[in-house]
Amino acid sequence: MSIFSNLGIRGSILGLAAIVTGIGVTRSCDGGGIVTSQHRVDLTFWNGFTGPDGRRMLEIIRDFNRENPDIQVSMQRMDWATYYNKLMVAAMDQRGPQLFVVHASTLPRMYRSGFIENSARLYSGSDPIPSADYDPYVLQQVKFKDQYAGVPLDIHPQGMYTNAEMLRAAGIQQPPADKASFMRALRLLTKKSNSGDASQWAFALTLWRNNFQSLIPQFRGRYLKPNGDADLNNPGNIAALQFLGDLSREKLIPPPENGLGWVGYRQKKVAMVWDGVYMLGDLLRLQGLDYVAAPIPQIGPQPGTMADSHVLCIRKGLSEAQRTGAETFIRYLSKNSIRWAAAGQVPARRSVRQTPEFASMPVQSAFARQIPFMMYPPRTPVLFEVTLEIDQAVEKVIRGNADAKTALDLANVNAQRGIDRDRAEQKIAPAGGIQP
Amino acid sequence: MQRTGFLFLAPYAVSFAIFVILPIVVSFVLSFMRFDLTAQSSAGFVGFDNYREALQDNYFWSAVKATLLFALMIVPGLLVIGLSMALGMNAMARGQAAVRALVFLPGMLNIAVTGILWQWFFNGEFGLFNFALKHFGGQGQPWLSDKAFAMPSIVLMSVWWTVGGTAIILLTALQQIPGMYFEAAALDGASTTRMFRYITLPLLKPVMSFVVVTTSIAGFQMFGQAFMLTRGGPELSTRGVAQYIYETAFNSYRMGYGAAMSWLLFALISVFGIFQIRMMRRPA
Amino acid sequence: MNRSVWKTINGIFMRCVAALMILPLFLMLLTSMKPEAEVLNPENVVPRVWTLSNYQQILGWAEEAPFGRWFSNSVFISSAVTLGVIVFSAMGAFAIKRLRVPGGRQFLGLIIGSMMVPGQLFLVPLYLILSKLHWLDTPAALIVPATAGGFGIYMLSQFMEDMPPAIEEAALIDGCSPAQMFLHQTLPLCAPAISTLAVFTFIGSWNDFMGPLVFMDSVRNYTLPVGIALYQTSYYTEYGLTLATSVLAVTPLLVIFALFQRQIVSSMAASGLKD
Repeated sequence: MSIFSNLGIRGSILGLAAIVTGIGVTRSCDGGGIVTSQHRVDLTFWNGFTGPDGRRMLEIIRDFNRENPDIQVSMQRMDWATYYNKLMVAAMDQRGPQLFVVHASTLPRMYRSGFIENSARLYSGSDPIPSADYDPYVLQQVKFKDQYAGVPLDIHPQGMYTNAEMLRAAGIQQPPADKASFMRALRLLTKKSNSGDASQWAFALTLWRNNFQSLIPQFRGRYLKPNGDADLNNPGNIAALQFLGDLSREKLIPPPENGLGWVGYRQKKVAMVWDGVYMLGDLLRLQGLDYVAAPIPQIGPQPGTMADSHVLCIRKGLSEAQRTGAETFIRYLSKNSIRWAAAGQVPARRSVRQTPEFASMPVQSAFARQIPFMMYPPRTPVLFEVTLEIDQAVEKVIRGNADAKTALDLANVNAQRGIDRDRAEQKIAPAGGIQP
Repeated sequence: MQRTGFLFLAPYAVSFAIFVILPIVVSFVLSFMRFDLTAQSSAGFVGFDNYREALQDNYFWSAVKATLLFALMIVPGLLVIGLSMALGMNAMARGQAAVRALVFLPGMLNIAVTGILWQWFFNGEFGLFNFALKHFGGQGQPWLSDKAFAMPSIVLMSVWWTVGGTAIILLTALQQIPGMYFEAAALDGASTTRMFRYITLPLLKPVMSFVVVTTSIAGFQMFGQAFMLTRGGPELSTRGVAQYIYETAFNSYRMGYGAAMSWLLFALISVFGIFQIRMMRRPA
Repeated sequence: MNRSVWKTINGIFMRCVAALMILPLFLMLLTSMKPEAEVLNPENVVPRVWTLSNYQQILGWAEEAPFGRWFSNSVFISSAVTLGVIVFSAMGAFAIKRLRVPGGRQFLGLIIGSMMVPGQLFLVPLYLILSKLHWLDTPAALIVPATAGGFGIYMLSQFMEDMPPAIEEAALIDGCSPAQMFLHQTLPLCAPAISTLAVFTFIGSWNDFMGPLVFMDSVRNYTLPVGIALYQTSYYTEYGLTLATSVLAVTPLLVIFALFQRQIVSSMAASGLKD
């Protein structure tokens, strides 16, 4: 009260106006006042690397800016969920970044919106990125007919993190690699305490949906039929989900409402978890955890895991100078992807994976062994809706509220409804969809 | 004189027309359209399709259920706890002003800070609540990961966040009751409970109805709390209508469908608002 | 039980309640000074190892989190919104209640009606309108639409209605123009109501989360609340960092609260007394 009465109301309002104009004027000066060289290209680069991986990326960008004084890249990061909302609406509005990262699985929707530049130029011309350096399956993810939506930077498969100390204590020398040894490890490592709640768990689910998705290729499951229709309730998917449901029902994993997950693993209460290679970034900051990584054990008839890639993309409608600058940056990141790998990623380029430096990264190398068997999330523009349905089905089964078949049957009906609606609205024939 | 009057009103009226009236009109038109922000060429009018779809959409109804559940817990929660706090503060001889300020303080925080803070409290493994429970020999509880706990946990946080304002409104109303009513009743030998029942409550009724109406309107629009704590889980049990609208508009990019659901939410709020005002106006 | 004993117990109890209400904020402060490993394996409420590393990390690397920029954005936007709301609302209320423009009552009714419309409904249309105006990702997107809020004009109209009409009549006889009347009489008389409105508007704008989240793209254009939410990630949250940023975001508000505490609380109280 006192401040207002001393100055008087008109004085206060004038004071407020002075503050506003003051900051406003300084703003406009510092915006226009910077002397920019006429030849310098300024680029913004958006991504969702909000953890320690983002700090690594910032370091790489700092070096790039130093080595290329005529190009200045500034990076902006947001939580992935917020990031995609923003990227889409900003780019549709002709704003947004010149450079950005999109998950391979999210590309179909983004690419259809028409704001991503064809990157074919990067794979040819002078100083090309050799397309033969990529696994065909990975490169296929960024191809739309004869166009390239971007350059895959990395591959991030799920794999198994184990606590070597706990394994040794139970007499297990090697991380389990098949169903028999995995089941044996579950029984050996789970220790129930007197109060009935286990003091130590052999295994815990992390992100339930992703753990399920890692088993889908193992049971020869799939998400979509070749014509783009939903196929979530195929026998392979049902068997994969049934396996996780059984683990939960037989109390071989922590109760669903108290899923210790990744935190339990960090706290040495859980001996084994399946999670993405990027979680290594979290472990690197931790001391005193003796972790050993391995491929996801083969539970089904064949090995397999889920994976995805961060793809470097350029926005449409840039000036030639900006576009060339952006391409220089993408080449630089791609060539130096071993530095990015250190943050907890597998480089997408084979030549980088064959370097001795990569061989000296034990977790990344172990996860990279799964590349021949990995499966990406469904390639559909309605990924959000399909993913939500898979989420619902997995939650129901793990919580014991439905059996795998019932849950996946319902998910399939709902997912198909989303696909049908999208087709009707976009006037696409069922067989169309987006084919590589 | 009148021309000057309109000149004075003009700045606000222009702003109001562009940023309140126009959006309402746009939203109404959108609700009859198919409008995908990312594929604007396919935009077009679809009549009542969006409304029809919403009424047949299980996710919409489960969101309505979550919204109602939240409102049904938060409104009585705020009223009872707020009234108890107000009565307690009213009876204080000294230090009332300080207590009043501290009780109101959480309401100053924004939802991001509040959510981050409580997410940490509720965390099953290293959260404060389970830490305290285990410390005193109890068992940790699945605050956010079990269907039975998640919504009450969100309500608990919301009560902490907003009860101060409610308590202060009720306290002020209590202080407006003339002391002589109680003196007269005390002379007649009335007990404290009887005084509360026959003097305090009836006289507080208008303010209480104000509290009920405003907190239910806010409750029906619940978004940030669940978004920060559970993202709508487990099994979508805490995803309210507001969050579903946000996701429809900015994850599925279906602006028309989102607009239609906004109008249905508005209808729901209006029906409850009118119903509550009727109930409260009825003589006791 | 003896009445005074009862009063003492009540006093102690209510002080405990008040302490409990602000306890979370103290815990936030304490935990923000723990190293991350200790946050995740709590052994004690008070840190074993006191550290400012979380704060150093936030404030130390401007490329990562331009904290100073967010702070000045918040100050700028909240001040501008407050100014706009006060000026527009006071002028509007003056026109309706003191100059009695025709249709003023109906207009006020329309404003109150529009306040019942849920906020979600505005999100998409506002986005489209701001996009057409090319205001997205500029402070204007957060400032100008906020001046259309109904609360300010409604509140000031109520206040002006209670002012005796004789004041104006006297002024008119003295040959004052409406503008002079507004500046020299109405505004000073409305000072209490306006300052209350100012504080509320400032806090509301400072805490706005949805607006900056949807309308601003560039991290350097964020306000504090949205900036701090950047530390929440899909995979795991760095709680030490998040809590430290929260402390930094809350501190300016606590200062405002300390300065205007009495006023904030009493205007909160008054909001329930009308009708």
